[in-house]
Amino acid sequence: MTSTAAAGVSAEGATRALVASVQDLSIHFKTKAGMVHAVDGVSFDIRDGETLGLVGETGCGKSVTARSFMRLVASPPGVYAGGKIDFWSSETRAAGGGPVNLLTIADDEMLDIRGNRIAMIFQDPGKALNPALSIGNQLAEVFYQHRSDELLEPLGPNAPVIIRRAANQESGKVERVLLKLPPLRSKAAKVREEVEDHVAAALAETQIPNPRKIMDRYPHELSGGMKQRVLIAQALACNPDLLIADEPTTALDVTIQARILNLIRELQQRRRTSVLYISHDLSLVREISDRVAVMYAGRIAEIGRTDDVFRQPLHPYTRSLMAAVPSSRNKRGELAAIEGTVPELIDPQPSCRFHTRCPYAAGVCGEVDPRFLRHDFDHGVACHIYDEPAELGIRPDELPSYERRTR
Amino acid sequence: MQIRDYLIRRLMVLPILLIGVSIIVFALTRVGGSPIGIYMSHEMTPEEVEELEDRYGLNDPLPVQYFAWAGGVLRGDLGWSGVAVAPVTQVFRGKLAATMELATAAGLVAVTLGITLGTFAGARRDRLPDHLTRVFSVSGSSMPDFWFAIVLLIVFWVYLGWFPVGRSDPAIWASIAHPTGLYTIDSLMAGSWQAFRDAIWHLVLPAITLGLATTAIITRMMRSSLVEELNEDYVDAARAKGLPERLVLKRHARRNALIPTMTVIGLSFGFLLQGTVVVEIIYQWPGLGRWLADAVLRGDQATIMAYVLFTSVLFLTVNLAVDIIYAYLDRRVVLGS
Ligand SMILES: Nc1ncnc2c1ncn2[C@@H]1O[C@H](COP(=O)(O)OP(=O)(O)O)[C@@H](O)[C@H]1O
Ligand code: SF4
Ligand SMILES: [Mg+2]
Repeated sequence: MTSTAAAGVSAEGATRALVASVQDLSIHFKTKAGMVHAVDGVSFDIRDGETLGLVGETGCGKSVTARSFMRLVASPPGVYAGGKIDFWSSETRAAGGGPVNLLTIADDEMLDIRGNRIAMIFQDPGKALNPALSIGNQLAEVFYQHRSDELLEPLGPNAPVIIRRAANQESGKVERVLLKLPPLRSKAAKVREEVEDHVAAALAETQIPNPRKIMDRYPHELSGGMKQRVLIAQALACNPDLLIADEPTTALDVTIQARILNLIRELQQRRRTSVLYISHDLSLVREISDRVAVMYAGRIAEIGRTDDVFRQPLHPYTRSLMAAVPSSRNKRGELAAIEGTVPELIDPQPSCRFHTRCPYAAGVCGEVDPRFLRHDFDHGVACHIYDEPAELGIRPDELPSYERRTR
Repeated sequence: MQIRDYLIRRLMVLPILLIGVSIIVFALTRVGGSPIGIYMSHEMTPEEVEELEDRYGLNDPLPVQYFAWAGGVLRGDLGWSGVAVAPVTQVFRGKLAATMELATAAGLVAVTLGITLGTFAGARRDRLPDHLTRVFSVSGSSMPDFWFAIVLLIVFWVYLGWFPVGRSDPAIWASIAHPTGLYTIDSLMAGSWQAFRDAIWHLVLPAITLGLATTAIITRMMRSSLVEELNEDYVDAARAKGLPERLVLKRHARRNALIPTMTVIGLSFGFLLQGTVVVEIIYQWPGLGRWLADAVLRGDQATIMAYVLFTSVLFLTVNLAVDIIYAYLDRRVVLGS
């Protein structure tokens, strides 16, 4: 793909700015059996205000890709093996600044981005909340971390240092005792009230009834759907530029799924937040995304506008996926119905990762990595079917083709 | 349910448990030999023995004997200690204070050191500090306490002469008042730095010996449960909020890792008390443990009963405290009960 991403402008024709641009991202895991190439040269852009769907079978590297935006891939065993993720926050853009590379910025800059400019909703709301802390306290942390200025506002410009430190969650043991004693107690209470107002407002955004009551609750006292609302409220608390939703409805009841999906869509449209929506559910992604990236075994197979990809899928893998989806429009199909299994990603040889399952695979597919080709306006694919024989140094009839099934 | 309700409920069960414990303690002494064994000698005639038994009501029905004893306990009369040659209650306080001081010192060291070391190692999993900590905790929990005590004694008392044995320097001990019987506290109350130093100096070796195994166990538990918690999703979720690693560890992972560790800490209290017997004998610490050992060797049943009754009550109290802390740390406990 001829990317003009460096300028912060999408290839679409300079009409839409980018929020993030992933370029040639590789994340490997060191295991006893060898290097697992979980993410292996992934590139895609996320445009300002869009929802990009990232779809693929379980284990294809979606979560690892998502986590690398926040540098949350544990290392070891993870290895950031290459590539970069450029990110334009609304602040730097307003100041006319360029992107930062999320993989190399300093730790404290990363902390400032996490939960503030980029936020994440996790797959299992039951596990993503700390069982020992009340809902209110967990949400409050986000505001203390990123909005301490707002919390200190009611105290005016001359708030004592101890209070400032408390609002930034920097208090030591002695300070915490002092904060409970008379001269500081009332000031600390003001900050507390302020943060509670913020938390209540954030919860109300996600249509949680009685936010003040929920704040005193502990996670085990809430239903799964309610917990996911809390996590959405937490993620959107600081109005992030990019929201990463990693299978946010997979762990929920079917009836709740639609409501959570609608909530995310509604909040996204109201705030114009960019969303990276990850799912293994093709029909779900179709419903919510402006564009879709199809991922297979650590690589992007195809990327394009949702309508284009679904109307005219280019990659054999995308086609198989769609064939596996029940045809009646509203039924949800999962991506398991393709023959064969995802290949081992340990120390792979150059090849198309799909060649072990592809009905059209030719000799070259097992020997050469397919390039990423722009097939159409805003529609790209990585498959030798669309490649040039001359580039590969083979005869035209050695190229795979939809006219020729090989299995 | 609120924590307060939970607490009240737990407190209400306490008296029932205490009565049960007292019955068991009483029954135990009736299985293990004659309660007046310590007063008998070979020269006594059967008539004299009979008279002795009558005097102590040993021919009454057992329930009568139990109530007589339990009534005495409630009035603060625990009988006569043949070993100490004094009423049990009179000697008990001083010895209890000595043992409590030792066990508390060892326990405090074990809990703070265990949690700190365990957190330190768990947060640095599979790196050098973790390996070193593992060496410590494995050797610490497998070393026999009497052996370790003797090694310390030989090195630091006999050879280097850095630390003394016993509980105090008699002259310094006599120079201050002893309102609590806890030497460290008494010396602070008296404002005597010299006495405080003396108290601490005498505590060092026995407290280290007593606390070593417990420190090792708490360290290991804390380390493994922290490692487990650090793998949980909520830890990454906390990081995703932008919290610095310091808060992720303290407020999130460590707090949850403390829950299983609390159980171990509660159990280790018994371990500490048990350990006082050996440690008090080797370091000549004038506490309950040494007294009990003498009493057992000489069949001094009043002392044994007092000891067992007391430790049982202590256990119940500690368990209650642990459960309360547990409920505070893990709200699911409160709801589930
Ligand atoms: N901690 C890890 N150690 C080793 N391999 C890992 C680890 N985490 C992920 N992987 C590898 O990365 C691959 C992709 O995982 P993931 O991104 O979670 O998949 P997805 O979210 O698409 O289901 C997995 O198949 C696995 O082999
Ligand atoms: S045709 Fe070849 S390159 Fe294209 S998907 Fe199939 S195996 Fe891969
Ligand atoms: Mg996943």
